[in-house]
Amino acid sequence: MRYVVGYSANARGHDAVNLAVSLALGRGASLDLVLVVPEVQQSGHALAPKAGFENLLTEQAQEWLDQALALVPSSVPAQAHIRSHDSDAHALIEAAEELGADMLIIGATSTGLFKRFTIGSVASALLHASTVPVALAPHGYHRQEALTRISCGLGTRAGAEKLLEFALGMAANRDVPLRVVSLLALDGDAADSADAAREYAAKCLADALAAGGPADPGEAKAEVPGEAKTEAQVEAKTEIVVAHGRSIEEAVDRLDWEDGEVLLIGSSRLAKGRSIFLGSTAGRILRALPVPMIVVPSDYELKHLNHSASSDTPREAQQ
Amino acid sequence: MSADHAMSKPSQTGQHTGQHAGSHTEQQHGLSEKGLKAGSVGLIGAVVIGISCIAPAYTLTAALGPTVAEVGVQLPAIFLVGFVPMLLVAFGYRELNNAMPDAGTSFTWASRAFGPWIGWMGGWGLIAATIIVLSNLAAVAVDFFYLMLAQIFGNPELADLTTNLPLNIATTLVFIALACWISYRGMETTKTVQYVLVGFQLLVLAWFSISAFSHVANGTAFDATAISPDWFNPFAVGSFSAFAAGVSLSIFIYWGWDVTLTMNEETKNPEKTPGRAATITVLVIVIIYMTVALATLSYAGVGDTGLGAGNPENQGSIFAVLAGPVMGPFAILMSLAILSSSAASLQSTFVSPARTLLSMGHYRALPQKFGRISPTYKSPSYATIASAVAAAAFYVITRTTSENALWDTITALGMMICFYYGITALACVWFFRAEAFSGARAFFFKFLAPLLGGVILLVMFVKTAYDSMDPAYGSGSSIGGVGLVFILGMGVILLGVVLMLVMAKLRPEFFRGQVLTRGH
Repeated sequence: MRYVVGYSANARGHDAVNLAVSLALGRGASLDLVLVVPEVQQSGHALAPKAGFENLLTEQAQEWLDQALALVPSSVPAQAHIRSHDSDAHALIEAAEELGADMLIIGATSTGLFKRFTIGSVASALLHASTVPVALAPHGYHRQEALTRISCGLGTRAGAEKLLEFALGMAANRDVPLRVVSLLALDGDAADSADAAREYAAKCLADALAAGGPADPGEAKAEVPGEAKTEAQVEAKTEIVVAHGRSIEEAVDRLDWEDGEVLLIGSSRLAKGRSIFLGSTAGRILRALPVPMIVVPSDYELKHLNHSASSDTPREAQQ
Repeated sequence: MSADHAMSKPSQTGQHTGQHAGSHTEQQHGLSEKGLKAGSVGLIGAVVIGISCIAPAYTLTAALGPTVAEVGVQLPAIFLVGFVPMLLVAFGYRELNNAMPDAGTSFTWASRAFGPWIGWMGGWGLIAATIIVLSNLAAVAVDFFYLMLAQIFGNPELADLTTNLPLNIATTLVFIALACWISYRGMETTKTVQYVLVGFQLLVLAWFSISAFSHVANGTAFDATAISPDWFNPFAVGSFSAFAAGVSLSIFIYWGWDVTLTMNEETKNPEKTPGRAATITVLVIVIIYMTVALATLSYAGVGDTGLGAGNPENQGSIFAVLAGPVMGPFAILMSLAILSSSAASLQSTFVSPARTLLSMGHYRALPQKFGRISPTYKSPSYATIASAVAAAAFYVITRTTSENALWDTITALGMMICFYYGITALACVWFFRAEAFSGARAFFFKFLAPLLGGVILLVMFVKTAYDSMDPAYGSGSSIGGVGLVFILGMGVILLGVVLMLVMAKLRPEFFRGQVLTRGH
């Protein structure tokens, strides 16, 4: 597995590297740190040649990437790349596609004073165009250990099964519990809606387990050879939680979050094809969330994940 | 550190050689590691970049008045003559840029040719010139900003707000700060915007000329003056002083044109495009300059009263005065054209001093912090802000001491361009001295052209500097009986010398020639 990390030599870049290490550790993934430098123009009255500035920029970028590689523990293989493009988001998506990456990891902007997450322009552009899942590190994310739990935010819309399959695979691969979270913004009759949500979540989970669980040899077996998991084992590590509050933000706040937890969320139905579009609810969840969030494109194929997982087995075997 | 941690050098170089085909970096000079991206700019694109670097609407409004003040009706002649040294020097620039593409340009090249001291002053001249033009650009933008407000609301009083000193200074500082912020964020004018701005400028300048000529034909011109062949005769200029001053001003109006000549690798056809683009650019520019110069002189004459182009009141920004009477209600288009082109130019010109300062910081000719690159925006961070502070300070000083700040800054600017262009051209001659007689091409481009250009410009510089001591020079502002233009120009150069000596004390490596070595 390969994860592309959008790196910049600031707090945001460090957050991204830390999250990338956390995600890679449980999965034996390798990291590709990508630093995007702008395409330099020469303009203005006095000649300011591109080439010279590009050289200085590249030199500086190499230095930054060396520092970035030093942040990655030696147990995680990492490579550094410099890409030249006017749009950071565009360059990262291109890099992810070119390197066959399974995830793009970036830091949310560090300027949000009161909110945990503020989506910067790069992140926001990525969340509207990426064809692979995008992981967002919250401001100040400093953890560099493997994940301890995976949460999966479930809406009431179609397409939840795909997301749940992805979440189940991720949890199984990392051998961590999965928590299916239904977030509700309610005023009055909470109990009924909560029950309905729980029922729906349970149904989705059962469907996903049937589709992506032991019936599919790909994920679980490929990762833990000789220790095939039964449906029961997977189910035992799965819980369903319904959280409600007057607003989505309050519902998010009311849930307990582990330090080593991430929240998976699906892209909105507005997304074109296989790309991401962050819906308004997801956007509100993001603002209140204390842990990283991974946004999965609307019909992101689990097969894709299986494929690269199996092709990467030799690399994992090396460790 | 594990062995897994490797910079992906192979894939990176692979990527670069793939993308940057056609680049021929000169490793032997130890300056360049990497070429440019090939093939992104076509002929028209290169011409547009050239014209937008020159920003003709802005240069005309800023330089036409001061040049008329020096040479009167011989304005067209001087505009034509002024191109010659620019062309000669640009040839040298091209050779240096091909051999040593470097962000420090004049600074690096002169250091390589003449050693650290002259190199430092060459760099300082470039920085000073760009700082001065930044403050002038901002001031012109502010003038036309208020003029446009007046035209929009039909209230002429709004245009006079620009003469309110504190308000004018405050607005100018805001413009500088905004342009600095945009430049710091690494945002650049997109191609589309550049095309629109250039097209709009040319259209409005043509409109202005046609209107002026039709006023002349209809007998409604302010001071209809018949065009005479004498206007094109540079030898008809009264004195050598006037000639020198005129030439150093016309260098300014072509400033930026050399960019087209040096755009080698990023053009689709590096063999032919830069030369053709430079030729087309200069043809377009000369035609528009001639047309506007003739139109202005025919319509307004060179009288020193009313709308006359010789009226000291009109010198600072000629279109601010003439656009209304000539273009009637459409004068607002002129305001818009100049405001947009000077604002765009203000933002893009920030790149020049910032990159030179960055390069000087990098080579330890300035404190290390000048060499900082913003991790978030990947632009020269400290250098950009330093440039903005310097431009703001220069403007405040000029505005408060001069009766006509725009006029005096443009004159001082012409002088400063002659200074650093002269040094750079001679650096070319000296740097390539071993190859100068290796063939006809090398002899012309690496020796004769830059030598002639450099000598002409340095003569113009010395002559203008000497003349500007006269308190009546330029707008006639003076301090202690010495002309303000001299104080501005020489003051800036002297400040450079002082800073250089301080730097030599603080960080001697560069000045011992340990960082940038001389010669090949």
